[in-house]
Amino acid sequence: MIMERGQALLLPVSPLFIIVSLVGAVVLSMLLGLAQALWLPDVLAVCIFFWGIHQPRRVGMAIAFILGLWMDVQQSSLMGQHALCYVLLNYFAYNMHRRLLWFPIKEQMIQILPFFILADALGLLIRMSTGDDFPGWSLLLVPFLETMLWPAANFILLAPQRRAHDPDANRPL
Amino acid sequence: MALDSLDRSPPPFFRVGFAPLTKLIFFGTLSLILMYGDKQLQFTQPIRAGLSTLVMPVQWLVLQPGHALTYIGKHFQSLAQAQKELEAAQLKALLQSASSQQVAQLQIENQNLRQLMGLQNKLASESQVAEVLFDVPDPYNQRIVIDKGSIQNIVLGSPVIDAGGVVGQVTRVYPLSAEVTLLTDRDQSIPVLNSRTGARNITSGDILMGVPSIELKFVPASADVKEGDVLTTSGIDGVYPAGLMVGRISHIERRVDISFARIHAVPLAELKGRHILVLQPTGAQPVAKGKTP
Repeated sequence: MIMERGQALLLPVSPLFIIVSLVGAVVLSMLLGLAQALWLPDVLAVCIFFWGIHQPRRVGMAIAFILGLWMDVQQSSLMGQHALCYVLLNYFAYNMHRRLLWFPIKEQMIQILPFFILADALGLLIRMSTGDDFPGWSLLLVPFLETMLWPAANFILLAPQRRAHDPDANRPL
Repeated sequence: MALDSLDRSPPPFFRVGFAPLTKLIFFGTLSLILMYGDKQLQFTQPIRAGLSTLVMPVQWLVLQPGHALTYIGKHFQSLAQAQKELEAAQLKALLQSASSQQVAQLQIENQNLRQLMGLQNKLASESQVAEVLFDVPDPYNQRIVIDKGSIQNIVLGSPVIDAGGVVGQVTRVYPLSAEVTLLTDRDQSIPVLNSRTGARNITSGDILMGVPSIELKFVPASADVKEGDVLTTSGIDGVYPAGLMVGRISHIERRVDISFARIHAVPLAELKGRHILVLQPTGAQPVAKGKTP
């Protein structure tokens, strides 16, 4: 097992936690959608990308596709628009999952930014090509904010795996 | 430390599943087919309706904390505020009472006149009160979701109004909910009548300086239109009943190089409260058997 120096050994991931985190991200996305602000990041996209990097054999393109359809119906956007973006993000995540984790968080963020830009641009392109108007310039903030969420995602979504493998009375977590 | 307590495990030699590129092509093609079907062929409505029955309960749950907060906020609203609102409502009712008392008499008179002229009697629009659940989060269009659907006999194309005027039209019907496209959506059109001049026009949604508004289409630059003119539904489309308030002309731009004037109006629908009225489309209503000429 080859790992970067100084990286913590992680406990095996609990499938239940992956499900809970994805459901949580869906609910959070629905809540953020109610705010009607263009610049709010797509939390679900970050979550799908994160699990695509860390657990590519558990969270694959099928899950990304189904969650995308869910968001399409909920946001009443074009059927398949979110699905295509999430599937593409998951594919990029799969392709870089062996390489990305060798870098510190800041360098990871620089590397993932282009993929979020690409996914959001694809969504915009799809809507513009079907004859919709450009919704506003604050849309350009979205991929940057999504990248800013990466450290938070690392902190929250890996927290259960960072616990000690043999908890005792002095070290409950 | 046992090895099975570590996250890193080697990938399986066998049963690795399809190649990622194969999966990408499969799901990508599926998405493209769905998008094309949604935009051009409209065959995705059953999928949407099916999925929406799963999405709506979750959406309902997500909305509850917000509703609870509003409820608590209202509960602790000051007494003075409530009394002021009551006073305003009573005043409004008083002002409306004169005209509403005449309505019954006018209806009878109208019916007699119509019979005299041999016109068919249109029934008064049936209506249902619905609650606005939320604004659709999609930034590309202007829609709201209401809590009544095909189970409560909401029909596709029904006009939707509120206290101020026409809100829009039902454009998607699910079993338990429906989507209303607002008049300010760029794909939504409504035939209107300028109540001052009697000129008939058609509108579509437009965004004027960042504010959603409605634009009067194909009005000659020389037409008699003034700022402040009130637009009402003309009733010739078989969807909207005649005489509903639509908007007030707010902005007129006549340019020499274009033969049409650019005319914008602000919608009169308030969309402040949580309730709206869904009417039956006039074309779908049963027509009362009158004396045919």
